[in-house]
Amino acid sequence: MAKVDFSNLEAFKDELWICGRCGDCSLADKTVASNRGVYHPCAVKNVLGFEAYSARGRTMIMNDLLDGELEVNQDVVDWAYTCTTCKSCQETCAATADGIRIPDMMEALRKDLFANGFTVDKHETIEDSILNQFNPYKEDHSQRTLVFGDRVFPEAADVVYFAGCTGVYREKEIVTTTVQLLDKIGANFTVLPDERCCGSVLLRIGRVKSFEKLTKHNIEAIKRTGAKTLVTACAGCYRTWKVDVPKEGFEYDFEILHITEYLDRVIQEGNVTFVSSENLKVTYHDPCHLGRHAEVYEAPRRVIESVENVTLIEMETNRRYAHCCGSGGGVKGTYGELADEMAADRIREAEATQADVLITACPFCHRGLRDGARLIDSNIRILDIPAFLLNAELGSVKSGPEGHPMKPIFMDYLAAHPKIFEGLKSGAVIDYEIDGDRFHVRVVGKSEIKVFPHRAENPDVELTFSPRAVETLVTFSSEDKYAEKFGYFFKKPTDEEWIRFNLRLNIVKLLMKGYRKFAQKAGLI
Amino acid sequence: MSIVKSSKIHPLYDKLTSIVGEDRLNDNPLIISSYSKDSSHLTDQRPGIVVMPTSVEEVQAIVNLCRETKTPLIPAGGRNGICGACIPRTKGSVMLDMVKMDQLIELNEDVMTVTIEAGLRWAELIRRLDEHGYKLGFRGPYGGNAATVAGSVSLNSMGYAASKFGPAPEGVVSLEIVLPNGEVIRTGSGWNPDAELFTRYSSFTDLTGLFIGDHGTLGVKTKITLKIYPKANHSTYADFGFTSLEKATTFFYEVQKRGLTEELNCLLAREAADTYFPGLLDSHPEVNSTLHCVFQEIDQQLAQRKLEIVQELAKEFEGKDLGNFAAQIHWAEIFNEVQPMYVNGFWLNTCHLRPIKRLPELMERMYEIFKKYRLEKNGIKWIADALGVDRSYSAAWITIFAPTKDKMELAEQAWNDMLNAALETGGCPYWTGLLWEKRALAKVHEPFIETYRTIKRAIDPDNILSPHVFGGV
Repeated sequence: MAKVDFSNLEAFKDELWICGRCGDCSLADKTVASNRGVYHPCAVKNVLGFEAYSARGRTMIMNDLLDGELEVNQDVVDWAYTCTTCKSCQETCAATADGIRIPDMMEALRKDLFANGFTVDKHETIEDSILNQFNPYKEDHSQRTLVFGDRVFPEAADVVYFAGCTGVYREKEIVTTTVQLLDKIGANFTVLPDERCCGSVLLRIGRVKSFEKLTKHNIEAIKRTGAKTLVTACAGCYRTWKVDVPKEGFEYDFEILHITEYLDRVIQEGNVTFVSSENLKVTYHDPCHLGRHAEVYEAPRRVIESVENVTLIEMETNRRYAHCCGSGGGVKGTYGELADEMAADRIREAEATQADVLITACPFCHRGLRDGARLIDSNIRILDIPAFLLNAELGSVKSGPEGHPMKPIFMDYLAAHPKIFEGLKSGAVIDYEIDGDRFHVRVVGKSEIKVFPHRAENPDVELTFSPRAVETLVTFSSEDKYAEKFGYFFKKPTDEEWIRFNLRLNIVKLLMKGYRKFAQKAGLI
Repeated sequence: MSIVKSSKIHPLYDKLTSIVGEDRLNDNPLIISSYSKDSSHLTDQRPGIVVMPTSVEEVQAIVNLCRETKTPLIPAGGRNGICGACIPRTKGSVMLDMVKMDQLIELNEDVMTVTIEAGLRWAELIRRLDEHGYKLGFRGPYGGNAATVAGSVSLNSMGYAASKFGPAPEGVVSLEIVLPNGEVIRTGSGWNPDAELFTRYSSFTDLTGLFIGDHGTLGVKTKITLKIYPKANHSTYADFGFTSLEKATTFFYEVQKRGLTEELNCLLAREAADTYFPGLLDSHPEVNSTLHCVFQEIDQQLAQRKLEIVQELAKEFEGKDLGNFAAQIHWAEIFNEVQPMYVNGFWLNTCHLRPIKRLPELMERMYEIFKKYRLEKNGIKWIADALGVDRSYSAAWITIFAPTKDKMELAEQAWNDMLNAALETGGCPYWTGLLWEKRALAKVHEPFIETYRTIKRAIDPDNILSPHVFGGV
């Protein structure tokens, strides 16, 4: 058996050992039994069937590789690149504080395989192309800006629009519509004359040596524009800039926003509104890089829901438990047929909503979903969010829809009583709902909170209050009295006064995050 | 579609391919690796090939092929049991991965049964019934997100709502089984081709019972018919604390025998509460054991009245009212309660059945073992819990957690003593598998096991189904 150095994978050996193989990552349907939106989390396993493709199977195989029980050969390489690293398994996993980190493990294994000389021919081509042409598609770098046509961009601007290779060379409509949309809403922006691949593909396939050079080049280029904000419509680029670049040790002083976050901000500030000329039912596919990897779930939804005459209908799996479309982790490039089958499954989910349009926010997803729709002859319209918005007219700026009257009162009350959240660790997030109207509280320091007027991206707990319960709670000047009554409404609810919990983290994780003290003050435990 | 291709070295590869096609079988060691364990650390042989049938006809054809070639055949469900029941004992076995057989075949509201394919998981079945306004009796084992109904029935599983409805087998009305000779039979009222599947007990011997708990040794279950009940939307909850385990178990017994609760869960020690629900007893230093009650009824007054009866009983038995948060969370987190405990380490279980009144005796022995192996000093946490079952007994699980791989050997030593203690104090495992088998066989009354073996020899003369389980034939 060939000796293989697993120096990257070895770092995960304790975590691999601790996996109890409960199978939630493979077969769970938590939609009714425990009120979470999990349904058969692994989109790869859902197509290929065997346990080897689920996270549970992957931990067994990786343990066998580390223990020398399994020989490293081309089968292992082929298998290693079937994971989209979508993180759905990790979100489902309750075994550790973060969940068993399968995406990180698979990327570590890929690095080890590559370092030990096990390669996939297509990946050689991709890396060569990035090294020589600064894009993974073997396209001529000198032609990169042709996508913008005659549009002239300033050398300096507030915002840099980072278009990304897939947009520039394969999903050109996303780039052109994004530029048009930014123009339409009056954004002060520019593009990089010499933008290079963000390096996402290299990280995903375990070939990391060129990442540094690409990143340094792009950071310098952005700095030269004087921009304070980088906006991208590519979820892959977004994750790379927001999560991977800092993780790899690079610093930058500009803000990273996905186009959906940028638009959300502009809309929330009351500067822009959109009106659809037709009544539309739409659904939204969460790109894994934007959702699970960067925790942006609500901004795209708020943007879509802000468009007049548009109704958003959620697919069966959505937000943190949304099925992957199959285009990530290098799977689309390596196993196109598998990616198309996964996308087709996602299209079936979209069709089940009876929506007119399937909206997404990533060129990889957009491309993959179109291929999936083609595979099963689906006629559902698939649009990336800029194209969808460009179809809408700008509306007259007006104040947003009227919320529940108790919402601002409750928000003000909580903001004035941060002691309620005493004991919670920084980063704890609680979502509040009154009659469908939502806001959230984020703990930012010791007895220090911020109250946001919209739904949280990834809360620990969702609390639903009857309006009468809120009316009573906001009368207490004492935080202890508030907690006591809060507990009472949960333990002894009436038709008029009640509180319901939806725990987004399991109880052990919640208690470790500091919810124990509040639960005790409320007399819950 | 297949990415990792079969090695095509299993002797039955070609013939099995002619039954299920290339994409639903695989004998590559990489694929096989992912079928090498269940949720325990126990191992034996690995399957020689894994096959995913999608119909009873395919199962029949596979069974016939295995019989004709005398090849061991292992039916497997969700493979997240904790006793090693689905681990083959012989090399070259054909493993049936049944999870693709997951259809709801018939919801018969006239006779209040649901018939499903064997590979459907409990949580998914609950959802499908919920959509129609029904619920199950026994809801599934703690691993019910992935555990299949047939797997649980084959292992006498314990779990949620056993307090009111008993263990998994109690809900079974009929089974469709492929016998080792390839014949398909339907048990219960299924013997009459013109009858609906409405009762388990009818006209002849209870053949359903023969295949329940058989660990896949007597046939391959392909369909299961279960009892269903109208969905009960009204729930009440209660938590009680006791200064001693003796007081808690006395109360536990009194509540359980009255049949009032949907679910009744006893944390047998303060340390268990700290592992299971950190902080639960911080405000109650005098409490050493707790009882958590769930009442679920079709009418709110009924649920409330049952709660009141138990609250009155609690006063009589010196139970402290702890509110209802733990019981609510326990029920809301159905099928998600065990996984968070992995944070304490890899688990070694002792799940078994015993009369409620014999729980204190068990814990006395356990404390001795914990002390002997200095578990606390070695960072090995534990939990001790018991679920109420059917009038007077409980499913007890005393579990220790090896925090790191290097503590596993010590933990296993303690665990072996714990397993012995469970049997010596009158416990009976519900499942057997690699976990209990040797110990159970050492104690079993010979005429009892010989009766089983006589049946096994008669039904499966070539011993193809799960050979060597229960000591083989």
